[in-house]
Amino acid sequence: MMLLAAPAINIDNAFLSGILGLIAFTLVMTVGVMYATWYERKIVARMQYRLGPTRTGPFGLLQPIADTFKLLTKEDLRPATADFIAFEAAVFAIFIPALMVFVAVPFTADWYISAIPMSLLYILAVSGLSFIGFLLAGWGSDNKYALLGGMRAAAQLISYEIPMILALVAVVMVTSTLDVYQMILYQDTVPLIVWQPLAFGIFLIASVAEVERPPFDIPTGESEVAGGVFIEYSGIRWSMFQLSSYVNMYAFALLGAFVFLGGWEWPFGTDIGWGYQLLLTMVKMSFFIFFYLLIRATVPRLRVDQLMSYAWKVLIPLSLYQIVTNGFVIVYDLPDVAFLLFSGLGVAALVYSAAFIVKRGEPRRPLTMVPVRATAKAAPPAPAVAADVVVEGAAT
Amino acid sequence: MIGILRSLTQVVRVIGRKPVTIQYPEVHREIPNRDRAFPILLWDAPIDEPYCTGCHACERACPVECMTVVMKDNPKHATGESKRRKIIDEFWIDYGRCMRCNICVEVCNFEAIGMNNTWAGHELSRYDRKELVMDLDMLMSQSKAGKVDPGLRA
Amino acid sequence: MVTEQHDRSLEVVDIPINMGPQHPSTHGVFRMVLVLDGEVCKDVIPHIGYMHRGGEKLMEAMDFRQGIGYCDRTEYLAQFSAELGYVMAVERLMELEIPDRAEYIRVILTELNRLSSHFMFMGAFGIDAGVFATSFTYAFPQREYIQELFEEVTGDRLMYAYFRVGGLAWEVTDNFVQRVHEVLVHTRQGLRDLDELLTKNEIFMVRCQGIGAFTADQAIAYGLSGPMLRASGVPWDLRKDDPYSVYDRFTFEIPVGNHGDVYDRYLVRLEEMRQSVNIIEQALEQLPAEGPIVAEKLPRRLRTPPGEVYSKVEAPRGEWGVYLVSKGGDKPYRLKMRSPSFCNLSALREMCIGQFMADAVMILGSMDIVLCDVDR
Ligand code: SF4
Ligand code: SF4
Repeated sequence: MMLLAAPAINIDNAFLSGILGLIAFTLVMTVGVMYATWYERKIVARMQYRLGPTRTGPFGLLQPIADTFKLLTKEDLRPATADFIAFEAAVFAIFIPALMVFVAVPFTADWYISAIPMSLLYILAVSGLSFIGFLLAGWGSDNKYALLGGMRAAAQLISYEIPMILALVAVVMVTSTLDVYQMILYQDTVPLIVWQPLAFGIFLIASVAEVERPPFDIPTGESEVAGGVFIEYSGIRWSMFQLSSYVNMYAFALLGAFVFLGGWEWPFGTDIGWGYQLLLTMVKMSFFIFFYLLIRATVPRLRVDQLMSYAWKVLIPLSLYQIVTNGFVIVYDLPDVAFLLFSGLGVAALVYSAAFIVKRGEPRRPLTMVPVRATAKAAPPAPAVAADVVVEGAAT
Repeated sequence: MIGILRSLTQVVRVIGRKPVTIQYPEVHREIPNRDRAFPILLWDAPIDEPYCTGCHACERACPVECMTVVMKDNPKHATGESKRRKIIDEFWIDYGRCMRCNICVEVCNFEAIGMNNTWAGHELSRYDRKELVMDLDMLMSQSKAGKVDPGLRA
Repeated sequence: MVTEQHDRSLEVVDIPINMGPQHPSTHGVFRMVLVLDGEVCKDVIPHIGYMHRGGEKLMEAMDFRQGIGYCDRTEYLAQFSAELGYVMAVERLMELEIPDRAEYIRVILTELNRLSSHFMFMGAFGIDAGVFATSFTYAFPQREYIQELFEEVTGDRLMYAYFRVGGLAWEVTDNFVQRVHEVLVHTRQGLRDLDELLTKNEIFMVRCQGIGAFTADQAIAYGLSGPMLRASGVPWDLRKDDPYSVYDRFTFEIPVGNHGDVYDRYLVRLEEMRQSVNIIEQALEQLPAEGPIVAEKLPRRLRTPPGEVYSKVEAPRGEWGVYLVSKGGDKPYRLKMRSPSFCNLSALREMCIGQFMADAVMILGSMDIVLCDVDR
């Protein structure tokens, strides 16, 4: 593991060490994602009275490997009418940004691939690129479902980027740094979720939309567009899409753990050694992952217009509110509790915000129950006489 | 949001409950006594011959006409071993067509045919449709080997 | 797409998009062509008939016992209702008196069948709404208990062929009453699970409310029946308005919706399941402990006098009717099934136009069609 840490390799050339770190990291990430699918299938299965994979190895632990082999050996299909360049480029346009995010992520206090001073900006910028891939895939597949899915994906990713960035801007105002590393250090006593619960809530919701997991999975909604953008992809290409979707999920889970939950810093400080730090990070990350799985199994999919109106009418105003109140607290130099106060008010609004998207109009009336009374009496118990003639078809 | 939280607690609650999965090929669910799989012919062990006399009643009553019955004179009748004057010679049932309606069992006057109520009557997948046409030997083998459930309704 | 070269302005076209026959949410081999303007449906053209086997014609060549198997295969989620409709038609022609015990067992099994059918609806509807199979796995284990009971009683999991002209094919199992009580425990649990999971979920509500709303007049004009009709505010239930079998001996309630939209249809079905549990409990109380299960004086070979009859039952999807013409003899001369799925499906176009594509899926799901029943 330490091999990955750029300082440990002792290569002077920063570019080379970065590349090496990235390659090693890609491999680790791939295995991580494979087991994320296993974990997801197991957990979701238990939420649904099922067992999940059991056949491949103990507890189905080899299932991801079996899946990988299956996907790799699958016939490589491309529709004859597909736009070759767009179809092929889409895979990389989604896959590469998903991995590039991790270049700037400090996994522990001294393990990161590259120390970028404005890493938060970098992470948001790179992760925002993936919508190009969705558009390319939607257009290149020459399939109407894919086109619909691609358009939905583009609209959704762009819309939800805004509340997410605004929520993080609020955090940046508090910590007054754009470096994720510094943000983690800032939280050595109290994690930011305490001061900025509203920003945290917005980030949580928007990140689900950004990784296109249910209930915001309308670009790939199985019951509507039957796979959406990925409908024509199979085999290795499809698995790369899956991979990048999970890598994205990891990225946002990590970002959330660092920015809001204190990363490896809180509550034990910097000096506990990289092993514990990594463990702490993973525990915090798995909180996010579990949340993603939980709502995947629970919540129905939103409709496309409701999805948009939720972003624009609820999340963006609330995140602006968060920014304004933060500014207020900072400018007038109020105590930190004021952050919590204003933000908490916003959270109350967020909790009720689900009601905002419910269609207003005439109030719903409950069902009317029309009673039916028994008009005939139940017959007295019949005497025990067997029928003397047996119907053809009645067993004796 | 309140309703969503209710849904979430419901889902989390289920994690603690017992899964309902049955590991099928290793574990076979117990099937009830009355189970109706596919019709099989029964074997009259004491006399060592099938019950079926080839009377064609089932063949005529079958809604999908998937049975073919050919009868012959019973050689054991001549020697006095059996009371059956006629006996089944050849019998085919196309399991691919049979709709498991139980009518053949109901019309048979000799209780010679019954709906298989063991797992052997369910696990019948074949690679070729033709292999689903069962002949007399196949139809009787299970009963001959004594592997039918005693509760079989004939 | 722009054929005229001189017209260089952007052209707006509607996309016709082919949904089905192999689509995850068309509930069988049903195909609809959606004409989409962006995400909004401008037109819906349903195509049916993929499963047409000529079941009615086939049944004209079958005697009255053989035909029962075809009823099962037509309405394969509410087999007992289908069998009951057919058997009742023949019984009415022959003017048979059915023993009480048989009638009660029929009612119990039919109501259990309504439960299992509605469980199927709940599961599939949740998936249409986008709950990742959770509603399905909540509904199905509980449905499985019902299914197991049916298997114990009739010997088959799907094609029961248990109701016969004049009564039942054979006696129920000895521990039938106790088993039904056991099954009802699981059913209540399933109802609670589904209720908690879906009913008050805001996203589910927002996906369902106000979608595909039909007024009472529209619903009657389209000949809707069953939960579809009741959700639109018409308290029409054959168990109340034209009691058949022994339904006039039970006290229960009929849920009627006030909005006629998808959410009301869901609620009506949920409430109907509770009422079914109620009816089953009353029937179990009243069930004669013993007695004949087939009518007296049944001929060995069933023959009907010439005549025609229409018998209808309240199936889980609506009015399931059998119109039977007999010219004497042991086979129907002409047989027509009035299937609720087909009539309900006819309203699809009207309901979908102007709605979003995702709503079209929900509307189709809320109809709870059985494609075999539509195509016959
Ligand atoms: S079960 Fe029915 S379909 Fe099958 S062979 Fe017997 S009569 Fe024919
Ligand atoms: S099985 Fe029964 S009905 Fe069929 S031919 Fe044999 S004896 Fe006759």
